[in-house]
Amino acid sequence: MSLILPKFEYYKPSTLDEALELLAKFKGDARILAGGTDLIVDLRSRIKKPKAVIDIKGIKELHKLEYIEGKGLIVGATVTLNELLEHPIVKSKFHVLYDSVRQLADMQLRNRATLVGNICNASPAADSAPALLVLDAKVKAVSKRGERVIEIKDFFKWVKKTALEPDEMVTEVFIPEPPEGSRGKYYKATRNVEDLAIVGVAGLVAYPNEPSKRIVRLAYASVAPTPIRIYEVEELFKRDEPLPKLIDEAVNIALRKVSPITDVRGSDWYRRHLVDVLTRKLLIELFLEG
Amino acid sequence: MDFYGEVVSLTFKVVGKSIPRIDGLIKASGEAQYAFDLEIPGMLWAKLVRSTIAHGIIKKIDYSEALKVKGVVAVVTGKDLPYKLGIYVGDRDVLAVDRVLWYGQPVVAVVADSLEAAEEAAEKVVVEYEPLPAVLDPEEALKPDAPLLHPKLGEYRRAPGFNPIPGTNIASKYELKKGDPEKAFKEADVVIENKFKAPMVSHVYLETMNVIAWYHRDGTIEIWSSAQSPFAVRYLMSASLGIPLHKIIIHRPFIGGGFGGKAGLNLEPLVALLSKHAGYRPVRLLLSREENFYIAPVRTGIIAYIKTGARKDGRIIAHDSTYIFDSGGYADYAVNVARAAWYKCTGPYDIPNVHCISMAVYTNKVYATAFRGFGHMEFHWAVERQLDILAHELGIDPLEIRLKNALLPGKGVLPTGEKLREDAGRLDQCLIEAAKAIDWGKPPEKPKEPWKVRGKGIAALYKGPAEPPNAAASAIVKFNEDGSVDVLVGTTDYGQGTITSLAQIVAEELGLPIEKVHVRFYLDTDANAYTWQTVGSRSTFQDGNAVLMAARDAKRKILEIASQVLHVRPENLELRDEKVCVKGEPWECVSLQEVVFGYTYPNGHTVGGPVIGVGYHMPERRTYLDPTTGRAPDGSPGAPTIFITFGAQAVEIELDLLTGKVEILRYAGAFDIGKAINPLLVKGQIYGGAVMAMSLGLFEELKYGKDGRLLNPNLTDYKVARAGDIPKKMIPIIIENPQADGPYGARGLAENVMIALPAAIANAIYNATGVNIYEMPMTPENILKAIKEQKPELIEKAKKALMEYLEKKG
Repeated sequence: MSLILPKFEYYKPSTLDEALELLAKFKGDARILAGGTDLIVDLRSRIKKPKAVIDIKGIKELHKLEYIEGKGLIVGATVTLNELLEHPIVKSKFHVLYDSVRQLADMQLRNRATLVGNICNASPAADSAPALLVLDAKVKAVSKRGERVIEIKDFFKWVKKTALEPDEMVTEVFIPEPPEGSRGKYYKATRNVEDLAIVGVAGLVAYPNEPSKRIVRLAYASVAPTPIRIYEVEELFKRDEPLPKLIDEAVNIALRKVSPITDVRGSDWYRRHLVDVLTRKLLIELFLEG
Repeated sequence: MDFYGEVVSLTFKVVGKSIPRIDGLIKASGEAQYAFDLEIPGMLWAKLVRSTIAHGIIKKIDYSEALKVKGVVAVVTGKDLPYKLGIYVGDRDVLAVDRVLWYGQPVVAVVADSLEAAEEAAEKVVVEYEPLPAVLDPEEALKPDAPLLHPKLGEYRRAPGFNPIPGTNIASKYELKKGDPEKAFKEADVVIENKFKAPMVSHVYLETMNVIAWYHRDGTIEIWSSAQSPFAVRYLMSASLGIPLHKIIIHRPFIGGGFGGKAGLNLEPLVALLSKHAGYRPVRLLLSREENFYIAPVRTGIIAYIKTGARKDGRIIAHDSTYIFDSGGYADYAVNVARAAWYKCTGPYDIPNVHCISMAVYTNKVYATAFRGFGHMEFHWAVERQLDILAHELGIDPLEIRLKNALLPGKGVLPTGEKLREDAGRLDQCLIEAAKAIDWGKPPEKPKEPWKVRGKGIAALYKGPAEPPNAAASAIVKFNEDGSVDVLVGTTDYGQGTITSLAQIVAEELGLPIEKVHVRFYLDTDANAYTWQTVGSRSTFQDGNAVLMAARDAKRKILEIASQVLHVRPENLELRDEKVCVKGEPWECVSLQEVVFGYTYPNGHTVGGPVIGVGYHMPERRTYLDPTTGRAPDGSPGAPTIFITFGAQAVEIELDLLTGKVEILRYAGAFDIGKAINPLLVKGQIYGGAVMAMSLGLFEELKYGKDGRLLNPNLTDYKVARAGDIPKKMIPIIIENPQADGPYGARGLAENVMIALPAAIANAIYNATGVNIYEMPMTPENILKAIKEQKPELIEKAKKALMEYLEKKG
């Protein structure tokens, strides 16, 4: 890791159009700078050597954090994680998002890091991703050619790879109103109090005691090349069977679906174990709360 | 009575008071200057090119492209710097010559007029290697067919008492015997044998290593360095480069942490020589955190084998241990770490029959150096775990077995045959107080969640400074015109609080308010008083004694002058409230200000002059040790340390059986430090040391790939405790049984607060689960793995409890 940054052209556009113009011009050789908490590290270590860095903090319209009753929450690209946590509606309505962002990195980093940056970095360990997955978030990708909406489940393609085209950037994430009566939670296993997830599990549960209406969603970080939601468990919980039995089955499905690796943070054995116990713990708590 | 025949007052005005550290404000405000902050006009930047293999021969170095980079002033290789460095064994190249010994070892240095140019040029240097088999495990390195790291080991310069074994990877080896261990093992009711391990770890001081050096045209070298022991840097540079001491000046600004990692000679000679190669221009080398992980020395790892023989009643009669310390590529301090663990091999227990081997072994990793605790945490990890295992085997309470075997003053005999002095610290008191503080004997409360368990653990410790028997300290106390004083010492305060406690000693002795005492924060080797090093928790004791002597010397000079003014003998005068007064007639005084620069009579005549007190401290009656016996060279008992600080550390923990995560619910540390010069700062050490020890015990480990590459050279994956990890309840306990030759009876403390805590945590884990942990760090995964191997049913039970929780509550 170098002490200094590599050479690059630095742009700080004040409008989205200018930013999109630059992205088109550099054809994938430009990087977006918002919080910079991932980008600067990658620049110092020369993992990324872009020709240009486009600082979007000067684009006012991207600093949008808006809740539309009955619709959902819009989080602009330059909204920091701490700004998100301070928004009262996030805490009261979007529990799982609040819970995951609360545990993301540390206070200093959350002062700079953004939600959009966290998903665009596309780390398998991204803490906000499992929460956004269970909330069915939608990502707005914009380029000079126009704009499109990418479902969050289609956004992550591989380790550090997203569905974005080289000339596209994410301007905002839309998070629809969570299902009525739902509760959400994020469990994160770490080595010490501030760490990347060894395993992260996000869960969302509604109507735990009414099998036909019951909603259960589970998504994971750090157990596969991308954050993943395990849809296969969701039908299961519509069955009118004892919850412990359903939980056992859900855990078995989850264990079949994950493909953790052994790395410096944990072994595949330990990660699988955590998938087992954290899934159980999370579901039990959500069922009991409901 | 002190050595001027005065009755020492038992009531102190300044000593024993909790004064906030006197360097605190300028550190907090950012005004304190560190080597990082300094700049010299015209200063050049150096950048190092590091080895990309763990072991091999350097075939070719091509830096022609680097020289073409604009701004490059010089490119230097190991061959250009034909010196061998080393504190105890002269085995270290300034830059690798011919052979590289670890992944990341500096091979080439580039000097340029900007950091950018230096980095660009460094990337253009091409080094070709012929890889050799690498050995990463010290036990593997001991095998006869292991690759040899130092084929010329026999030719290196070495200090007395160190014992490298040529033709092997053993950088130094020690052995001692006390009593008849073979016979005692036969007589023992129980014999247990275990193997324990601890990994290499990083100091993670806040300020990474950085040096500015200026080789002047007149042959003097000036160095600004983040170094703990500037006089050692000067001495070792002088010895290695053949330059007289007065030609080398080390400037030591504030330093951002050290923990032993900056105790020795590190980058200073390299940067000094780069300055010369760059045409006598000042050069800066500053390591990034990642570079620091690859280049800067680390703490030794250990593999420890212990065999213990005991009677049914818990009395230990025989101890046999082999400590294999991982030294990395060079010997540096690791050979002395292994030595310190050797002569204290039994832990703080009085065992009649002992056989101990200890050694430092070369491996293809970054070299190891001093680390707060100096090997003692590593071998206490083994000794204190072993003792608990023995206690459980015998069905004896872990506290009781410790009390039964504790080394006690005036009775206990150390492994080197030395009898423990009569005024030594009381381990039994430490144990009892620490245990009491966590309600030892009372079962822990039930955790709220049924998949968690709680347990209590205790471990004991002892340590004194590991230093040569002639390691000196000195001090100068200079009076100023207004009766204030400047104090010059050689020690470095990088957080211990020494500067404040030394000021308190001076204020106490001279009857001054603390505000009138200035201890110089910054240090220059050509201006400050000498001390051997800032290591081993020696400063309060040695520099404290030197300051005490210097203050008393100044006082004697003041009384001599005042005696002529007040017309009474000096012994009938006393210093009080910044005045010199006649004893018994406190209204007959002359102000301090009137006499400390000589007294001027009304007619202009003078008597006396500016008062400067000098003092020193030398270890007394300490000996060298024969590395094959542990005795003094003449065969009498070996006496290595000037004091021993005993302590006990106890914890109550909660363990999550689902994840393996441990939380310390409460911690109590009791230490017999003789006298707390400043209780506030003593408590600060106890708290800080506990957090650091917990971090080492639970999180920290340098992880290496099979190819010898460091896998976690950053603070993302080298985990260090953060604020949120700090135990919520910590109970510091200060015990004061004074030692006659300590300043006001004081002993050192800064390392002792670390040593036994990881073992106490592991002992508490056993108490909670019946599972033994043999290896640090106790990460959740490692703990869970141990449970799975030894008591898998606990995990299943916890899972069941979790599911029942749903049924019960749901």
